[in-house]
Order: sequence, then C-alpha cells, then structure tokens
Amino acid sequence: MSDTSQAVFRHIPIRDLSADQLLALSQQMKLSLSKVDMLAVQAMYQEENREPTDVELEVIAQTWSEHCKHRIFNAKIKHTLNGEEEVVDSLFKTYVKAVTEKIWKDKPDFILGAFVDNAGFVRLDETRAVCLKVETHNHPSAIEPYAGANTGLGGVIRDILGAGKGAKPIGSLDVFCFGPPDVKESDLKAKDVIHPLGIMRGVVRGVRDYGNRMGIPTVNGAIQFDDTYIYNPLVFCGTAGVIPISDIAKEVKPGHWLIAAGGRTGRDGLKGATFSSASLTTDSHEEDQTAVQIGNPIEEKKVADFILAARDKGLIQFVTDCGAGGFSSAAGEMLSEVGGEVWLENAPLKEPGLESWQVFISESQERMVMAVEEEAIPELERLAAMFETELCRLARADGSKRLKVWHYGSLVCDLHVEKLHEAPRREMLARWRSPAVKEPKVALKPSSWTETLKTILGDFAIVSREPIIREYDHEVQGNTVLKPLAGASGDAPQDGAVIRVAGSPHLMAMGCALLPELGKTDPHAMGRAVVDECVRQLVAVGADPDRLAILDNFCVGNPDNEQELGALVECTKGMAISALAYGAPFVSGKDSFYNYFVTDEGPVSIPVTLLVSGIGIVEDAAHVVGASLRHVGSKICVFGPTKRGLRGSVLGKYVSGCGLEAPPEFDEAEALERYRKYHGLVKQGAILSTHDVSEGGLGVALAEMAFSGKAGIRADLDRVPAEAGCTAAEVLFGETPARLVIEVASEHMEAARQAGLVVIGESTREKWLHLTYAGNTLIDASVAELKAIWKSGLTPYY
Amino acid sequence: MPHALLIKFPGTNCDAETARALEAAGFTAEVLPVALLDESALDRTQLVVFSGGFSYGDYVMSGRIAQLITKNKLGDRLRKFVDGGGYALGICNGFQILAQMDLLPKASLIHNASGRFMCRWVPLKKNGSKVSPFLSALPEQFELPVAHAEGRVVTMAGDAAGYVKSGLAPLLYGADVNGSTEGIAGLQDETGRVFGLMPHPERFLFKADHYDPDWSGAEQGWGYYFFKGAFEAMTA
Repeated sequence: MSDTSQAVFRHIPIRDLSADQLLALSQQMKLSLSKVDMLAVQAMYQEENREPTDVELEVIAQTWSEHCKHRIFNAKIKHTLNGEEEVVDSLFKTYVKAVTEKIWKDKPDFILGAFVDNAGFVRLDETRAVCLKVETHNHPSAIEPYAGANTGLGGVIRDILGAGKGAKPIGSLDVFCFGPPDVKESDLKAKDVIHPLGIMRGVVRGVRDYGNRMGIPTVNGAIQFDDTYIYNPLVFCGTAGVIPISDIAKEVKPGHWLIAAGGRTGRDGLKGATFSSASLTTDSHEEDQTAVQIGNPIEEKKVADFILAARDKGLIQFVTDCGAGGFSSAAGEMLSEVGGEVWLENAPLKEPGLESWQVFISESQERMVMAVEEEAIPELERLAAMFETELCRLARADGSKRLKVWHYGSLVCDLHVEKLHEAPRREMLARWRSPAVKEPKVALKPSSWTETLKTILGDFAIVSREPIIREYDHEVQGNTVLKPLAGASGDAPQDGAVIRVAGSPHLMAMGCALLPELGKTDPHAMGRAVVDECVRQLVAVGADPDRLAILDNFCVGNPDNEQELGALVECTKGMAISALAYGAPFVSGKDSFYNYFVTDEGPVSIPVTLLVSGIGIVEDAAHVVGASLRHVGSKICVFGPTKRGLRGSVLGKYVSGCGLEAPPEFDEAEALERYRKYHGLVKQGAILSTHDVSEGGLGVALAEMAFSGKAGIRADLDRVPAEAGCTAAEVLFGETPARLVIEVASEHMEAARQAGLVVIGESTREKWLHLTYAGNTLIDASVAELKAIWKSGLTPYY
Repeated sequence: MPHALLIKFPGTNCDAETARALEAAGFTAEVLPVALLDESALDRTQLVVFSGGFSYGDYVMSGRIAQLITKNKLGDRLRKFVDGGGYALGICNGFQILAQMDLLPKASLIHNASGRFMCRWVPLKKNGSKVSPFLSALPEQFELPVAHAEGRVVTMAGDAAGYVKSGLAPLLYGADVNGSTEGIAGLQDETGRVFGLMPHPERFLFKADHYDPDWSGAEQGWGYYFFKGAFEAMTA
C-alpha cells in the first residue's frame, strides 16, 4: 500500500514519442484518446516544454472523452445520402441547437435554459421552473446490471440536484432496451455475456432500489425488446425537478470555496467516462469491473436534503454533481472560466492509499460540489451535521485561469483551463442508403384478424409492463395524479404521467417515445415519428401543446462505421424537422456511442436508437386525461388520418409483402393544428379519455382503452379517416403517427365534430371488442380474454 | 391546534407529504431530523409521527436501526409520552420502526409473500369496536395505496387471530395483498393512541389522486379523513 500522507503520481514522457507510440500509450493507459488527440496533447506539452503527469493525462482523457465532450455530435461529417454528398457541420449545432434557438425566439418567456446547465428549464408558473434530464448507463449495465442501473438513476438524480442552484427531483422515467427474455442460452455468441433475463431483472431492481429509497416516484418509462440489444442493453434514466426561477442562474467567482458534499471517494468507478467511450468486448466483463460505480441511495438522500436546505437558505452560488470524471470534471467545469486550486488531500476517502489521479477522477457516487462564499461555511456545516452528510473544502476559485491540483504539497496537475477544453475537432464519414425490405422473422398466417390482434397484444412490444411498474414506487411524494397504470381496476396502460407540483396551480406531464424497429430501415422517419409520439403523449394527457419541452437521447453502435453514422445523421435530421414544426424545443440531451460488441461471430451493433422524452405544462388538474374508457354510451372518435404503409410496425414483424416498402406519412403542421384543437376540447371538459395510436395501431389502442374494465367498444372501421387504398391491415394495425383515439360524451359531440374528430363507434355495456370493416367483422373478442393475454405477457419472465 | 412532530431519519422520504396531510387536517407539523432529536422535543408535541421511507436504507431488518437510534435518544421517554396521553403514528417504514418499540401489540413485518416490492392500491376494512381515532372519520371499507417490500404481519402462533378478535388489529386488507396473517394491515395499542399501518394515507389526500378519474367515494381522498379523525379526537 502506498504511503497515505503523500502524493502518488508520476511524469509520463510523451514529447519524443512517435504517433504510433502515442496511440499505444493511450491504449495502455485506457485513455480512449485517438492518435490525433494524442498528437494534440503532445503539442501542448512541447509548447509548455515539459512532460505531463499521469494526473494530467487522465484529466485530459476524461475531459476529451466522447462521454463528456460529445465530439461526434460536434464533428464535421461528410455524409452521402443515396449517392448525394453533403457536409454536416456539427449535428448538435445544426439539428439540435439551431432548432431550439429558433423556437426560443418565439417562446422567450417559456424556455428558461437549454444545454448549458445539467438540465434544461421551462417555466411552470410565475415563480417556478421545471427541468428534465435523461442519461444513459449502458456499458455499466451490460457488465453489472444491478449496480449499473442503480447508479444510472442515482447519477441523473444528481444532475437535477445540480441543476441551477439545486432543483428538487419530483419524478423519474426509465427506458430500457433488452434482448428478448426468451432468447436461448445457446444463442448467446460470446462468453460471459449476461442473458437478457439477468440483465432485465438486475436493471429493474437497480432502478427500483435507487428510486424508491430516494423517495422519487418512477412514473414513466418504456421497454423495447429486440435481438440487437442482447449484447448491448440500453438503460436510459431520467429525472424531472422543480426549482424557483430565481435559483436557475449560477456563477463561480474568484474567492469562492468549492465544497464537496456527500459520499466519500474510493476506487469504484475509475475511468467510467473513457470506459463508456469504447466498445464492449468479452474482456470487459473481466477487466472493467472497477469502471462500475457502487450506489448508496441513502448517502444521496442525505446530500439531497442538505443541498435543498442550503439552497433555500441562499448559501449556494453554484452547484454541480460529480458524474463522469468525478472531481476532475466537477471542479474542472466550475473552474473552467476562472481557474483555481484543488487540494486532493482534503477529500475524505473510503480507503487509504489512493493515487493522486484516482482521487481526482474517481466516479464514486453521491458527491456534489458547491461554490460558496466563505461566510456561508459555518451555516453549511450546521446543515451538514443536521442531515448527517460530510463536507470538505476541495478547492478555491482564484481567477488564475489555471487548474492547479495539489496533493500533500505536490503540484500534480497544472493545466490552462482554456487549453484543457480545446479538444481537436473530429472529421468523420457517413452514408445512408435505404436498405431493401427484409423478409419477416416469423411468417404468420393469421386464421383471423382476431387471432392476429391476440398475437400482437402478446408481443413483447405491447404486453403490459405491470410486473415491473409495480416494483417502482410511483406514488411517493403524494403527487402522482395520472399514474402509469389506471382505469377502473388500476391496471390499464396510460400515455404519460401527470404530477402535481406542490404549491403551483399547474401540473407537469411526462412522456417518452422510442421506435427503434422503424429506425432499422428508415431512421429519418423514426426521428420524426419519435418526436411526434412524445409530443402527442404529452398533449393527450392534458399538456398545453404550446408549452412542451423535449430531450433527445441517442444511442449508436459503431460511429466509425459509415452506415451507422449515416443512420444517426438521418435520424437527427428527421427529429429536427418535427421538433421545429411542433415548436417543441430540445432543452437537454445526451448521446452514447460504441454500443457494439464483438461476439464470436463478429460485431453486433444496436440499431440507431433515439429516445425522445418530454415535459409539458398542464394548466389545471381538471385537464388531466387518462387513456382508459370511462363511460358506457360515449362516442369513440379518431383524430388524424391513417396513411398507407406498415414499415417499422409491430405487424410488420409478422407479415411479408404489401405495405412494408415505406412507413406511413404524416404532416406535422396539420398535426399541431389538431393538437391545439384537441387541447381546446380538453379545456372545455369535452374529453373523457384519450389514447395515442402507437405500436400495434388502432386495434391495440382500442383494446387498451377497453382494458379500463368499464366498457367495451363497437366500431365501424370504414368510418376511420384513411387514405384511399388502405388495406384492412393498415387500418387496423398500421402505425401512422399523429393520431389519437378519443372518448367523447354525446353532449360534447357537436364541439368535437367541429374540431374535426370523426366518430367511428361507441362504448358498450357489453365488455366486448367488436370491429367491422367493409362489411366484415374483423375483431370479435371479449375484452377479458384480450386483456388476459396482454396482462400476462411478461409475468413468466419477471 | 395540536402539534405533530415528524422524526426524519436518513432515508425517511414521506415526511413532506405526511406533514402536508397533517396540516390539511388542522395540525401544525414539524419535520425534525433525528440528529436534532432529544427528549425535550416531545414536550412540544401531541403526536409523534414516524413517516414512510427507507430509514438508514433498511439494509438490515426494516426500521431496525431507526428504532435503535430512537431508543438510544429517547429511552423510555416515548413510552411516558404515550402514557401521558400522547399519540404516536407509524406509516409504512414508520410502522416497521414503531412495531419494534414495544408500544404496539407484538408482531413483526417481514418480506411480502411475493418476495417483491409492490406499489398498488388496496381495499381495506375496519375491524372491531375499539375506539380508533385514526379510523373514526372513515367508512367501514375504503382504499389506500401501499408501497412496500416488507409489509407482511406475522406474530407468535394465535396472536394475530387474537388481535383481530380484540380489535388491536383495527385495519385489515380486503384482499390478500402481501400474505399478512389474518390480513392485518394496521395495529393499535389498547388506547388507540398508538397506531401503525402499512398503507399510505398521506398519498390519498386529494380526490384526484384516485386511479379512477370517476371515483366519487367522498369529498376528499380517504387519507384526509384518516388524519382528520385523529385531529378531531385530539381536539375533542
């Protein structure tokens, strides 16, 4: 063991190394820096006429990592679309930031912050803002599902605590992509890979144990199952918070103390940022265990209570969390403008003997760093004692523009703050050509449409997530007005969640959408459809369509594969079109690359996966709308046209031929008009219940509404507003975006008709689903029978 | 106006909404971090509340560490407080803590029969004719949400049936929720002033919080009447 009272660091000679030797050094130290990056580092030290310390190289590697710097989203990409070449000068600037900036001009009072802080903010009411952040924790969850997901949620909760001068977390959402739970063990083509069942159980329990212990309701989420996620499961964790608007702005000034609060620093979570910026291999399961952090939600609960109390007393000037890169990124970010000095020996450790670089970059959990005035420290110490959390004086801002890190009197790192943040820009190649239609995996010959509906209701894409939802406390804080499961028996699916915000007249809606199946063949259409679905969910549950904010979270396989990067470019373009049309700004986002795995049979990549999550303002509790039928004898209406095309649909997995060559079209401008009219009806109290038409199409949407247990549905699908030439399959199971199914009481039908809703049937006393089309009965089944299939789909596996 | 003191342990996380519910029913409510707890705190209150959450993480037996720390800080002062007419309430994790303090009939709360954490609404029914201030404003049957992994009441053989018979188990599940013996959802002492239950009344304060938007059982959520009953008993 090293001496515990002196710095342990070394100088690493790099000035005389060749490019290949530099790359070898990067690989040996697991820095995840490219040859170009290493050459830039070398030039920096040649200029300073000295050799770097290991601490400095680690700090640079963390700071420049894909995880922290999003260098692919900022890269210059030469993209070829179906043979035509174009240059995308930063995906982020072109398709994310520019969209938000345009919308911001129209909604300056609503958007209160985007991209600069740990979360984006929008106005809730006169004095309060709400914010949302979503992170991924894919690599850790692949090799240690419980701890990976546990700390994934723990980390994003800290993002909210570190948003503004500290926001209060009020709701979480969790989205997973797993391999199918029924995959055969013998089909896993690499050693030490965890079976999807093990991944699913571990991940769900990890989220459960962090969220429940923190007392933050997990109210929203989604799960996708697909073969492509067997080796690279995806785990998205998101948390929303509320903050006084006056506490959003924050600034570190020379003279401020940087106080670390919360958990101690240890060897867990070393190099997580660089680990997540490389692909997984079989060796990862053996070698990279130290990259996975260990969660302790009670430690975080204590620091959360402390931070919020300190904020309310006005003691905090700036706060951020220790996430990827640990102190180096938290202190590095806080001192990035002014510079300052760090004293590593002041950090309380979990165990003695950590080397200097380990203290500085460890991603040990449950740590926050605040900038405070010297006079505030005694009061902070009193609060820390009250909430039983530990404080240390980690650093002090000094205006020197240098990041100086001391460890027991030795200067172990001395970097110019501006140079540290000047990572070389990447130049990349991408191309996209729409692939040919694939034959379906399972050729299903339906004996009847009713049988087809049963098959689809039992598909992993559709089946009830109830066994998992019940493990999450979605009621804690006592504000969950629209719950993930509702209806007369409390077990029917909903489109989103609505949370009351204590003290505010307004409420907050949360929703999320992802459609990776569509992205396999048409990422551009997926980008558009995913934005629409999230927007539509928020509007459906009662949010004002003009007061929404969304987040883009991307997961990509190998970005050095031109086709995969091309899919990302196309998806990003599509997403930007819809967001702009809806006036739904991106206020935050994140990306995760290298989600591919080299199996015995070659590399397996995930399809480009875009999660769009969002928050919306619900003006009044009376506007909250569920997705479960409420009365017998009300009118069942469809709002929005059905178009031809089955590509990317759940049905598309089972059938071949007609309709698979293209996804259905939709028009965002028309959709937004409908959403506004719908919201007008909501405000008039004309809407009883609404369900978005998404995976499984109209057939599944109608069945799910009837799962409320209060009524059945009899409808004539000839009345569905549909493009000429639509087949029964397209009307029943097509997944045209931008459509809603709405239950309206007869007395409000006149207003509904004027708004453009089309009646297709009514709710019946008999709990039966009866759908006709072109003179034939397509669906004829008892709601109880359909519900049993849907409700029990996951129970054998979870 | 009666005062309620909510003791907050590291990991207690239902204190804010419980305080809100108490205030709605007429109490003044004070959340006190356990680091500041001493015997004198009981002098300024009529009701001591152990709220829900995961005190100290509940990594050992639920509520065990919180109970030991409370005992260490208060000794037999809590017993004297109750004997002197004070009220004590434990909800969920608070019930798990209170169940180990020798203030309630002997029982343990162990892992649900399903072995899982469970968040759902449950039917409940009142039992027996014993005076139960916390239930006095509620009808014979009502609903509340539960969210727990260790809510199954077990006792020495025969004790549970005795509690049901004597009315020391004044609150029963209307269906098998977690394998609780005799369906016991809540326990009280002989006086009714000490009450512990697994369901969360503070989570059904508002009518809109029912899962069915057409719910019309009462003007407010059932949880409101839970706290209101106690308030009325204490101000009568």
